[in-house]
Amino acid sequence: MAVHKPLLRGAVWLGHLLILAGASAGATLALRVLIGGEGTLYLALPRLFPFAEMSLSLDGLSAFFLLVVALVTAAAALYGPSYLGAHAKAPLVQTFALAVFVACMAGVCCAGDGLTFLLAWEGMTLASYVLVVSDTRSDDNTRAGLLYLVMAHAGTAALLVVFLTLAERGHGFDFVAFRTAARSLHGSTRTALFILALVGFGAKAGVVPLHVWLPKAHPAAPSHASALMSGVMLKVALYGIFRLGFDILAPAAGPLPASWGWTVLIVGTVSAVIGVLLALQQHDLKRLLAFHSVENVGIILIGAGLAMLLSRGRGAEPLATLALAAALLHTLNHAAFKGLLFLGAGSVISRTGVRNMEELGGLARRMPWTTWLFLLGAVAISALPPLNGFVSEWMTFQALLLGGAKLGGASGMLAGVAASMLALTGGLAAACFAKAFGVTFLGRPRSVHAEQASESPAPMIAGMLLLVGACVALGLVPGYAMPLLDGPTQELLGGLGPSAVVTARGPLVLSGNGAASGLEATSISVTAVAALLALLAAVAWALRGWPRRAPRRLAPTWTCGMLPSSRFDYTATAFAKPLRLIFAAVYRPRRAITKETGPSPYVIRRLGYTGEVVDLAETMLYTRLKRWITATAQGIRAYSTGRIQGYIAFVLVTLVVALWFFARA
Amino acid sequence: MSVELATRLIDVLGALLLFSTLLILAAGQLFRAIYAVAVQSVFLAIAGAVLGAATGNPDLWIIAGITVVVKAVLLPWLLIWVVRRIQIPREIEPVIPINATLALAAGIVVLAFRLAASLGPVRQAITGNALPVGIALILLGVLVMASRRKALVQMVGLFASDNGIFFTAMAVSQGMPLIIEIGVILDVVLGALVMGILVLRVRSSVDTDIADLEDLRG
Repeated sequence: MAVHKPLLRGAVWLGHLLILAGASAGATLALRVLIGGEGTLYLALPRLFPFAEMSLSLDGLSAFFLLVVALVTAAAALYGPSYLGAHAKAPLVQTFALAVFVACMAGVCCAGDGLTFLLAWEGMTLASYVLVVSDTRSDDNTRAGLLYLVMAHAGTAALLVVFLTLAERGHGFDFVAFRTAARSLHGSTRTALFILALVGFGAKAGVVPLHVWLPKAHPAAPSHASALMSGVMLKVALYGIFRLGFDILAPAAGPLPASWGWTVLIVGTVSAVIGVLLALQQHDLKRLLAFHSVENVGIILIGAGLAMLLSRGRGAEPLATLALAAALLHTLNHAAFKGLLFLGAGSVISRTGVRNMEELGGLARRMPWTTWLFLLGAVAISALPPLNGFVSEWMTFQALLLGGAKLGGASGMLAGVAASMLALTGGLAAACFAKAFGVTFLGRPRSVHAEQASESPAPMIAGMLLLVGACVALGLVPGYAMPLLDGPTQELLGGLGPSAVVTARGPLVLSGNGAASGLEATSISVTAVAALLALLAAVAWALRGWPRRAPRRLAPTWTCGMLPSSRFDYTATAFAKPLRLIFAAVYRPRRAITKETGPSPYVIRRLGYTGEVVDLAETMLYTRLKRWITATAQGIRAYSTGRIQGYIAFVLVTLVVALWFFARA
Repeated sequence: MSVELATRLIDVLGALLLFSTLLILAAGQLFRAIYAVAVQSVFLAIAGAVLGAATGNPDLWIIAGITVVVKAVLLPWLLIWVVRRIQIPREIEPVIPINATLALAAGIVVLAFRLAASLGPVRQAITGNALPVGIALILLGVLVMASRRKALVQMVGLFASDNGIFFTAMAVSQGMPLIIEIGVILDVVLGALVMGILVLRVRSSVDTDIADLEDLRG
């Protein structure tokens, strides 16, 4: 590149600092709406199109999602310059694309009309596509980018149908007109539109079975962009589901249709389980994280679906509020810890150049900061106390169990099944991160790259620290986060806010308030749990080596007289093997062992092992679809002779037939 | 010029235009097709002049002049020059036999007249009967393009079709606005130039006819 190197670096820094400034401004604005009680902010945009007014409008729900966007964006902006400086090929282009990407995500959340929404939505897709294909130029990335683009545009097509239907009936593109139009819709039309919206947004949010692009495209982007795509872009799609499902398409009075709630709940449960199961078998660090995003989107949808089921006029309003608050809180939490984990993975990748965790290991001594920060993220995503993942999943459990008791009968059973699936998901996620963390950071280095790794520069650590701060704060004192959720939940459900429903006794004790529905509720104080854990750790530390019988002696691990090497460690494949066997029906594992023998078949020179699991959605759905499209295209190709006379004849015949019909009429 | 006279003249010219198009379709030799389209352009120019005299619209005179210069002289000359230059066989090489083409043409003419019968409100007093002829000319020009193998003959078909568009425009209104007519003529000239250059270059560099390019399809 002809640009002077320091100048280039300066430009990249400047770009990221501008993004950071934008994120701070966005966060301030969002907090003013959420806590400051400013009411809805409204800004009319210049009239670009003759047929529609464009505007931005920031109500509680928008502000909450804007806060999510701003949080991860700020961390990514701190982290980005050093990361791009290390190995990016086109840092300026990527910085610019990042800025556009972030601005468009904020635009989607703040849009006050359908047109602005769709424009920002498309901008978001295109900017993230640039980020996906620009980092490493390989065929795989190009294909991932193409798949992403196809899926995203298919989703947008579904959204376009919804928006245009509403715009046509409401005679305008702004959301107020949409709401008026939706009021007069017939029940089945309303449901059809909601399902279309769910498909459209679900394709972007990575809901099973529309998730296939996600684990391919997210890891391909630069890591801080992956953090934004996984941590925030999926949430922007969820914002769409919340906005349309609870607000715009909702009936004027009475509860939301039960079919919506069940659809969302079941889709969410399936996504959560399938996502974590597939994540378990991934050995590419970023791909593993991307599959966990599918899982967490599922968890959020469980809460949302339950809130739909219990909403308005079913006598369980506080429970609906609890479920929605859990979903929204998990949105924020997942943004924080998934952002953190992607940044941590990026830190590992930028210092080792390796994404396959089988070739890592032993990084704990070489990259201590990254290790600790990644560990905290792993604890949070595994829903272990006292970090934030636990809080929102606990709330989801409370809502599911209390809601199940409230619904009763078969419905209650189904809610119970969802709860048990959620529990399974949590356990598997913990197993998955035990594997990811252990194989990547503990043990001995398995390659030269891992052996020569060193700690990442301070700005990257700073970016991660910001998110860890959010994880810890949201985990230890979740009660203080509840007022943030008041605005959005009251807008969507009416009634009491979560700060009245969830935290019964002060900000430090969580309690799902079941008394209003005549049910016993449990309460928990994460703060107390954390204090207890800290106390236990302190006691264990104080008591280490007591009672002492003999002086301490350092010696290598006994390995039956052989020299210990990194080959003795658990590999990721081996660690996941038991689960691969248990869930063989889902994984359909394939493995092949290749032997290279010497002159005699008893002398084995080399043993090769390859194993893979399949994504059922990919093989059952997409491969068949692809085959059908190819066959159809081949069929059409038979008519494409390449002769210009043939093409002109097609035109002529079409003209004559059209004129013939015209003449008859 | 009186209105009745103009109407009768336009009718006669329409018949002549249709006849010249049929000549193009029936032509077995390249030069005959080119001469036929040149003659057709002259008829079109006369029709434009007659209409101009009858309505007093000066634009029509200008268009008639341009038509004579460009379509009746310049473009046919360009085609003939290209044919002489590349020395190809001068037969037409139809894709479907000439007799069959003529039968199709008859069907198209009948369709055009039938269509025009249902378009009563569009017809104007002077040029009323021109409408079916114009439509027939457009479709027959496309038929020439679809049924002949040589790129040069397809160009002739394009000219014929273009003449048809002009004539239709005269029939439904008193010609298109001048600027559009000039633009359309420029398009045709450009098309002819591009085609001429392409034919020459393909012939001189790889020694195949441009129609053989269809073998390139994947």
